[in-house]
Amino acid sequence: MVILETEDIVAGYGSGPDILKGISLQVEAGKTYCIIGPNGAGKSTYLKVISGLLPSRKGRITFKGADLTGWRTDQILRKGICLVPSDRSLFPDMTVRENLRMGGYVLSDQKQIDQRIAEVCEIFPILGERHAQQAKTLSGGQQQQLAIGRALVLRPELIMLDEPSLGLAPKISKQIFDSIEILKRAGMTVIIVEQNARMGLEAADWGVVLDLGKNSFIAEAQKVLQDERIQELYLGKKH
Amino acid sequence: MSDQIISISPVSAEPVSPDTKKSRGRIIFLAILFLSLLLFPLTQAIFGGMNYWLHLMLYTFMYISMASSWNILGGYTGYVSLGHNVFFAAGAYLAGILLVYQGISPFLITPVAGLLALAIGLIVGLITLRTSGSAFIISTVALILLASIVMDKWELAGGANGLSLPLMGLKMATAKIPFYYAFLILAALTIFMSYRIRHSKFGLGLRAISQDETKAEVAGVPTHIYKVLAFAISGIFVGMAGALWVYYLTYLRPGLFLSIGIATHMVLMTLIGGKGTVAGPVIGAAIFIATNEFFVAQLGSSELNIVATGIMMILVLMFFPDGVIGTLKNRNRLPRFLDWE
Amino acid sequence: MTQISQIIILGLSLGGVFALMSSGMTLIFGVMRIVNLAHAAFIVMAAYIAYWAFKLLGMDPILSIVITIPVMYLFGLLVYRVLFAKLIDNPRFVELTVLITFGLSLVIEGLLSYFFTGIYRSTTPRYATDTLNFGPFYFPEGQFYATVVSIILLVGLWALLRYTRLGYAIRATTQNRTAAKTVGVNVHQISMITFGLGTALAGASGSLVSFLFTFFPAKHMEWVTIILALIVLGGMGSLIGSLVGSFLLSALAAYVSFNFGPTWSPITFYLALFLILLFRPQGLFGKKMELQ
Repeated sequence: MVILETEDIVAGYGSGPDILKGISLQVEAGKTYCIIGPNGAGKSTYLKVISGLLPSRKGRITFKGADLTGWRTDQILRKGICLVPSDRSLFPDMTVRENLRMGGYVLSDQKQIDQRIAEVCEIFPILGERHAQQAKTLSGGQQQQLAIGRALVLRPELIMLDEPSLGLAPKISKQIFDSIEILKRAGMTVIIVEQNARMGLEAADWGVVLDLGKNSFIAEAQKVLQDERIQELYLGKKH
Repeated sequence: MSDQIISISPVSAEPVSPDTKKSRGRIIFLAILFLSLLLFPLTQAIFGGMNYWLHLMLYTFMYISMASSWNILGGYTGYVSLGHNVFFAAGAYLAGILLVYQGISPFLITPVAGLLALAIGLIVGLITLRTSGSAFIISTVALILLASIVMDKWELAGGANGLSLPLMGLKMATAKIPFYYAFLILAALTIFMSYRIRHSKFGLGLRAISQDETKAEVAGVPTHIYKVLAFAISGIFVGMAGALWVYYLTYLRPGLFLSIGIATHMVLMTLIGGKGTVAGPVIGAAIFIATNEFFVAQLGSSELNIVATGIMMILVLMFFPDGVIGTLKNRNRLPRFLDWE
Repeated sequence: MTQISQIIILGLSLGGVFALMSSGMTLIFGVMRIVNLAHAAFIVMAAYIAYWAFKLLGMDPILSIVITIPVMYLFGLLVYRVLFAKLIDNPRFVELTVLITFGLSLVIEGLLSYFFTGIYRSTTPRYATDTLNFGPFYFPEGQFYATVVSIILLVGLWALLRYTRLGYAIRATTQNRTAAKTVGVNVHQISMITFGLGTALAGASGSLVSFLFTFFPAKHMEWVTIILALIVLGGMGSLIGSLVGSFLLSALAAYVSFNFGPTWSPITFYLALFLILLFRPQGLFGKKMELQ
């Protein structure tokens, strides 16, 4: 069942040129997608458009049957889509607990938010341990966990992660991807943008290749991994 | 990158390229303008009754000079100073005090005032230019307020009450004429210097700083030295204007030279005309003073002038940040005689 | 020793009011990176409101806070709407706003001058000239009340920021604007509300300064520099900073005033501002004013 559909999305920043030049993608519920591609291809931009942080210039976004085009971020969050940005976007001077609370900003029931925070702390125990610490004092990996945890407070149906392994040591990245497995098992639809194409594709069901603002290739993740062209372009294999 | 249109014309006469035509026309226009300005006072000498216009003209020349100077720091380099009249006051105080106590004519002191301003600019610049952006703007405001208080207390200069300067001893009919020429020359010199800087390596460096200081630094521009130099140079003519103006007013008082209004005028005129261009401050000064005279004639009261200044500032900043010259240039409608780049 | 303590008490009692005056400005800077040079002009405006309420309605200036806060809040929303709402995405935003707010301060000064002339004014409730005695120390009664009211308002502000949803949103926007957007905060609305809030604080300050100082339209220039000194010392964007800065500099100014005469105390602030900008622009707790 298709949960998210983006048709012909065109977008850019300010009055600048189009970064996205017509992306059409259908995302099936419960599956994991990994978007790879060269720098500047528009991968992060694409996620920003879906989450409402960047308005699209053309095209349509449909989620669970509703037309989300032009919606504000808070409306999109309430509908069930969350973004975990590549810079983690934490509130440095707020505590871990306060950051998680901000995750539930669009909800009005404080009790519900507290309940969700407790659930998140079960998935990421370290957040529970350090709940009174300021976010800026956490390590890279812990910050990433906090960023994901914050998104989970809303129990999204679709969670999008922009470069989750960015700046993290391989061992820590593996931990992060392990937690992504938990999300998959919970039935969430996951879209990952990853520079580390191998890691991303291995975690995904489908691989999407974005280049120059258009999606040029979509196939089952394993196939993408083994495709010779992809291997040469993005995985560094020389023939 | 420009397309060359080669006309295969049977007429063998050498075509005058549009550029040469442009500069020739421009030079002729400017020459005529300058000549008429030079000759204008003669109407006063011969016909009389032109004192109001003489005053208005020399006032405009003074501000043309000050705005153009300010532009070197504010427009070319991108550092907005709201306290630039500190140079104005320095020149005025130097000339005023020397006249009262030593009897030296300010006309002689003027170049010295310029040097004093340069020195002050170097020292103050070295200190204040360690900040940038909003912090810099605020430090210039603090500077001028600091100077006001200090000058208020300086007994030698009469403190808050100031000093009265002796008159020049000319008849009323011709008293303004020497000042007219003095300010005209000052304005011409300032515009010339502004033009030269614009077309120099120094000017290029300044422009780089105004666009992106870090990149300029990386590209090899000695940003700190350039900024301090710009600050100091931008003060020279303002200082000289101060020396002449105090003589013209025959009165030296902190409030006359250290009010924020003067600095605001310099800023506003440059903004209206177009900061960062050579012709901008000139046009801006003319437009502003003309409009001001109009409003004063209509409304009379001086408090509403402040309101008008403030509103103009806001409108220009919000809707015409590039000023008259800049906006015209962006739309490719800049008349040739105004393009002094 | 008593003398020094007395001076310090006098300084600190003014510190509370200065802290209130600067809290609005630092709040606005934190959320929107706007250096509002018209903030002191807002204070003067509110002082005039308090003055006319006093003169025409016999209203006690401290009570007039009930008027000045809502009136100035709405005024703040209006100013934001008209001047800043469109500009907020402009890359040269910060520098433009400094000049625009400067222009705004001139407009306000001019209008106040036009309608009310430049006569020195102040409200004169009884407590403005009475003193309270605590053992060997004396406290000008007006200043005492003003400080108490200021502290109450500041505590209220702190509570708002710490415990309410709005407060969370404001703090989030201050710390990381894009992150705030990501979690669904309507940063444009929050910016507008914060501007209103900051201006409302200016309004409350105006009511208090109406009996603490004599004022006239052009007074805002002196006050804005003082407030800037306080904020820059404490750190732009940090409320605690502006509090600390206020108390420190007020005590220092009181000391200078006592030993060199009252006309020298403004210099303390100007000099302090100058020096701090030069040597530690981020102040004690805050962010630098220049932002990319």
